[in-house]
Amino acid sequence: MNNLLLRMVSALMPLLERTGVDTYQLYQILRIKLMMDDRRPNAMFAGRRKATATGKTSNPWLVSLGTVVMGVLTGLVLIVFKGPLIAQTVYFSMFMVLMSMTLIADFTSVLLDVRDQYILLPRPVDDRTLAVSRILHISVYVFRLALLQGLGGLVIIGFMDGLAAVPLFLIQLILITFLSILLVNVVYLIMMHTVSPEKFKDIISYFQIVFSVVIFGCYYLLPRVIDFTSLVQIDLTQKVWAYFLPPVWIASLNEVLIHPSRATLLTSLLAIIGITAPIVGLWLVAKVLAPGFNKRLAIAATSDGNTSAPTVVTPNSTTKPNSSLVNQLAKWLASDPVENAGFNITWKLAARIREFKIKVYPALAYVPIYFLYFGLNGKGSIDERFDKIQSGSSYIFLVYLSTFVLSSILQHISYSEKFKPAWVYYALPISQPGKILSGMYKAVVTLYYLPYCFIIGVVGVVIWGPKVINDIILASVIGMIYGLLMALFMVKGLPFSKPVLLKQSGGRVVTSLLITGLIGAVGFGHYLLSRWETVIWILIIPAVAVYWIMIYYYKRQGWDSIELEEF
Amino acid sequence: MNQAPIIQIRNLSKSYGSKLVLKHLTLDIYPGQVIGYIGPNGAGKSTTVKILTGLIPEFSGEVLVDGISMQDNPQEIKKRIGYVPENAELYEVLTPMEYLDFIGKLYGLDESLLQTRAQKLLTAFGLGNNINDRMDTFSKGMRQKVLLISGIIHNPQIIILDEPLSGLDANAVIMVKELITRLSQEGKTIFYCSHVMDVVEKVSDRILLINKGDIIADGTFESLKQNHSDTLERVFANLTGRTESASETDAIINAFD
Repeated sequence: MNNLLLRMVSALMPLLERTGVDTYQLYQILRIKLMMDDRRPNAMFAGRRKATATGKTSNPWLVSLGTVVMGVLTGLVLIVFKGPLIAQTVYFSMFMVLMSMTLIADFTSVLLDVRDQYILLPRPVDDRTLAVSRILHISVYVFRLALLQGLGGLVIIGFMDGLAAVPLFLIQLILITFLSILLVNVVYLIMMHTVSPEKFKDIISYFQIVFSVVIFGCYYLLPRVIDFTSLVQIDLTQKVWAYFLPPVWIASLNEVLIHPSRATLLTSLLAIIGITAPIVGLWLVAKVLAPGFNKRLAIAATSDGNTSAPTVVTPNSTTKPNSSLVNQLAKWLASDPVENAGFNITWKLAARIREFKIKVYPALAYVPIYFLYFGLNGKGSIDERFDKIQSGSSYIFLVYLSTFVLSSILQHISYSEKFKPAWVYYALPISQPGKILSGMYKAVVTLYYLPYCFIIGVVGVVIWGPKVINDIILASVIGMIYGLLMALFMVKGLPFSKPVLLKQSGGRVVTSLLITGLIGAVGFGHYLLSRWETVIWILIIPAVAVYWIMIYYYKRQGWDSIELEEF
Repeated sequence: MNQAPIIQIRNLSKSYGSKLVLKHLTLDIYPGQVIGYIGPNGAGKSTTVKILTGLIPEFSGEVLVDGISMQDNPQEIKKRIGYVPENAELYEVLTPMEYLDFIGKLYGLDESLLQTRAQKLLTAFGLGNNINDRMDTFSKGMRQKVLLISGIIHNPQIIILDEPLSGLDANAVIMVKELITRLSQEGKTIFYCSHVMDVVEKVSDRILLINKGDIIADGTFESLKQNHSDTLERVFANLTGRTESASETDAIINAFD
C-alpha cells in the first residue's frame, strides 16, 4: 500500500525538483514517516488499542480493514434513504465527520511531533524539503484514508445508480475530502491561536470523548425519538436550511448528473457550489491558512525547546499543606496516612491522566442514554412515553444503572500507559496495600460516583418529587457496596500501576457478572419495597453498616492479593 | 594551533522576549580541540548548541563554521556537524538499522557504504545482536549508543555532544571517553557539554564556562585550576557564585529538626 502511494508520489518528483526540493531526501523522509504511521497504534479506536509496554503495535492491514468496514457501514445509508438528495447527504455528512475526527484524533500527534525538531533539523535538510515532506505526508495519509473509507460507498453506489455514478462518486469523495481538510485546518488554526500544544491535546481528548458519546447516543436514541419512516422519505430540496450544508452541495452533483430527470435549477446551483467550494477551500488552505499554520506549528515546537530560558524562581511560598478542600476531605475520609496518600494520589491522577479520562468519561454519559433507551421502549408517541417514565418508579433503575460509572472506573483504575512511577509502592515500606486501595476506592467514589448520584438525585427530585430521596440514598449506598465488591474481586493492582494489556481472562468476567447479578437482585428487592417509604429509610442504616464493615476488611488486604508488576 | 579556526562566533546574542540569554558571545574554536562546555542550568548552554546545530535559525551576530556563515548556508554547515542531543529523541518504532539508514541518507551517503558502516558501528558499540529489533524495547543506554552512532555516521568534522554518557554503563563510558580522544587525534573538533565535571576535566583540552549568557572562563583545566581551586567542580562553584555551600547543607540537615 505504502509502496504504491510512494510510487505515485515519485511521479511528482521531477516537478518538485524544479522548485528546489531535494527529492532524494524527500523520498526518504516520506518513506520513513509512512513506515512509522503503520507501526503506530491508531488513536481513533483507542478503546480497542492493544499496544503494550512491550511495544507490540497493531497490524496496519487490520487497521485498514477496520476503516473499510466503517466505510461499508456508512455506505449502507445509501440504500436505506429513498428521498432525493437525502441518501448522499447523510452519507457525505457521516463521511466528513468520520474523516475530520480521524484526522484530528489520529494525526495531531504526527503534526505536533517535536522529535522532528531534534532528528530532522540538525541534518542538512532545507526548510522547503521539510515543508513539502510534511504536506505530502499529510496528503498521502488523507487520501489513503479517503480511499479506504470511501471504498464501500463506491461499490454500493455502483449497484444503486449504475456504473456511471462510480467515477462521479470518486470525484465527490475527493471534493468532500477537500472540505474536511478545510474544516480540520480551521479547527486547528483556532485551537493553536488560543491554546498551548499540551492544552490542545487535552481539548482533542475531550473532543474524542464527546464524539464517542454522540455516536453512542445517536445509535441508541435516534431510532427511539425519531420516526424513521418519514425521515427516509424526506425531501431535502424543500428545506431551506439544507442549502447551507456542504454535504448537500456534494450530494447535488449526483442528483444533477445521474438523475437529470429529478434535477431542478436549485440542485444545479447547489451542484455548482459543490464543485467550486472545495476548490476555493483548498486554495484558501494552501494560500491563506497553511502558511500561518506552519508558523504556529514552528512556534509550538520550539516553545517546547525553550526551556533554556531560566524560569523565574518563585520565593518559596509557605503553602499550608492542609488548606485545600480536597485535603480537608481526604483527611476526613481517609485519616490513616497511607490511606490518605492513596486517596490523594488517585484523586489527582484520575482527574489529570488523559487516557484514563478518555476511557472513563464516556461512561458518565452512557448511563442516561441507556436509561432513556430502556425507558422510551414501548408504544405511543414520544410524549406519552416520557409521561410513562415520570409516572413510574424507574428512577430506582436509574440510580442502580449509575453503578456502571463505578465499574467502568474500577476497570481502568489500575492501568496506565505510564505505569512506571508506581515503583514507589513496591519500594516503600507499605505493610498494608489495602490501605492504598481503600483510599483509592474512597477517592473514586467521592470524585465521581457520589457527585454523579447527587446530580441524579437532584434531577430525580425535579422529575419525580421529593419522595425519591430515600430511594436514591439507599441505592447509592448499595451502589457503593457493589463497587467495593467489584474492587475486591476485580481490581488486582494499585492505582495506575499496571501497563495497559489485553483485558483480563474469562474467570473475572464470570465474577463480575455474578456481582452485577447480585446487585440487580438487590435492586429488584428495593423496587418491590419502594412503596413503603419508612422501610426504605430504615434500610439505609444496615446498608451503611455493611459498607463500613466491608471497607474495614478491604483495608486489611495484604500484598498477597495484589498482582505484582515487574519493573 | 596555527590553523584557521573551524568555528568562529562573533558577537552572538539571542533573546527570548525581553530576556537576553546569550550576551555578545565571541569565540574561536580550532580543529582537533576538545571543548568542554559547562555552565549552570539556564546559563545559555543549550541555546548556544542549538544555534550551532542550526536548530535556532534566528539570532544576532555571526556564526562561521569552516568559513561558511550560518545565516547564508546552514545546510553546508549541518553536513559538517554531528549532533548528539541531550533529550535522546529517536523514532522508537524503527530498528537501529532502519533509523541509521534513514539518517545517513539524509546526509546523502551512498546506500551500500551506509549499510556496512552502520553495521560495523552497531557491532562495535555492542548492539550487534539488536540490529533488527525495534528501539522501543531498548534500554536507555542502548538508545544513547544509537544516538551516538547517528551523530558520527557521516564522519563529520565537528561533533557536538550533549550529555553523551547518560545511561551508558561503565564500560561504554570508558569506550566513549577513549573515542573522544581518538577522534580529536584524527583532527575532529569536539564540543562536549555536560554537568559531570570530572569527565569534562579529563576529556577536554579547553574548557569554556558560561554563566548568565557570558563566557566567564576560557582555558585549559590547568590554567583554570591555578586561578581558583584544585578541581573543576570547585572552579565551577567559585565562578558561578556559589561560595557558601555549607549554609545550604546546613539548611538541609536542619530541615529534619
